[in-house]
Amino acid sequence: MLVPARNEARSLPHLVQVLRAELADAGILVVDDASTDTTRQLLSELGVEWLTLCEHTGVGGAIRAGLRYALAQGYDAVVRVDGDGQHPADQIEQVLAPIRDGHADAVVGSRYRQPSGYRAPGWRRVAQRALAAWVSAAIGQRITDPTSGFWAFGPRALRLLAFHHPTGYPEPELLLLLAHNGLRVSEVAIEMRQRLAGRSSLTAARVGAIAGRTALALLILPLRRTVPDGDD
Amino acid sequence: MAMTNPIQVIAVAVSLALVALVIELVRRGKLTEEYSLIWLVCGAALLVLSFWKNILDVSARWLGIHYPPAVLLLVVVFFGFVASLYFSVVISGQRRRIERLIEEAALIDARVRELEAQVGKREDAYFARRS
Repeated sequence: MLVPARNEARSLPHLVQVLRAELADAGILVVDDASTDTTRQLLSELGVEWLTLCEHTGVGGAIRAGLRYALAQGYDAVVRVDGDGQHPADQIEQVLAPIRDGHADAVVGSRYRQPSGYRAPGWRRVAQRALAAWVSAAIGQRITDPTSGFWAFGPRALRLLAFHHPTGYPEPELLLLLAHNGLRVSEVAIEMRQRLAGRSSLTAARVGAIAGRTALALLILPLRRTVPDGDD
Repeated sequence: MAMTNPIQVIAVAVSLALVALVIELVRRGKLTEEYSLIWLVCGAALLVLSFWKNILDVSARWLGIHYPPAVLLLVVVFFGFVASLYFSVVISGQRRRIERLIEEAALIDARVRELEAQVGKREDAYFARRS
């Protein structure tokens, strides 16, 4: 289990406890993306494996480093759970199931596939809907939650993303990258909690830049060359 | 190529100063050779244009520009644009490499911790045997 975390000292202890209770035999790796709070000091006390990035690279860099670590340790499947504790640990099995069954190379847990209690603020929901429609059209598959950070990766996705996971606000681009390189993506419904503590890294001011970047990435990515399997 | 007006003298002087500045920066090691080239080319182009005013006049007439010095401005803007685009490419590449370095440093840090733990265990076992 891979947990990218930036300034999540308040949520991490509880999250680790929940993850461990849910999947006792799975390894937990926390990747600290140059946190400025006490996350870093906390890591050695949590009894988990951890990486700490010395400078802030964004969630993409944290995931790339985490996946390379997982590959080196011989893991062939990785579940990505956000450090804020939003993702329900009891539904990891659902997200992992299509990988175990060999039906998919990457699985995204969707908050919107089934009606649930989770609600994003209004303007963000509108942006997510538009993005969902765009990504769905681009990869020819219905995606309801292109910004979800709850993922499971199988062996092929691990090899690709350990070096090519996008950065910035990477999830929509990630969906396209996977589809573009011929990996099978699947979406499963999950029920989402509200954040345990801390604030979302998304502020209204950042959304403009993110939207621009994502739009550009979505336009350009189909024109890119594909990555040969297992290439670094 | 008679020096007719002060602005031409100033233009030549500024171009020469630019070339001299670039060479001095390279000499002091503040600018690497690969990046100095683009500036030397700019400086040389400016120098040529400010020396031979005729080139400006002829090209201005050919382009249909009534005020010849505007051609100089056009060339400067063009070079500035190309240079900043080039540097954006350089910065993007550096960003990618820095990110990779940060990731690798984190992985090496984890590897060091793992090895330290192994060495620590072996030392403990060694001293336990000796005592």
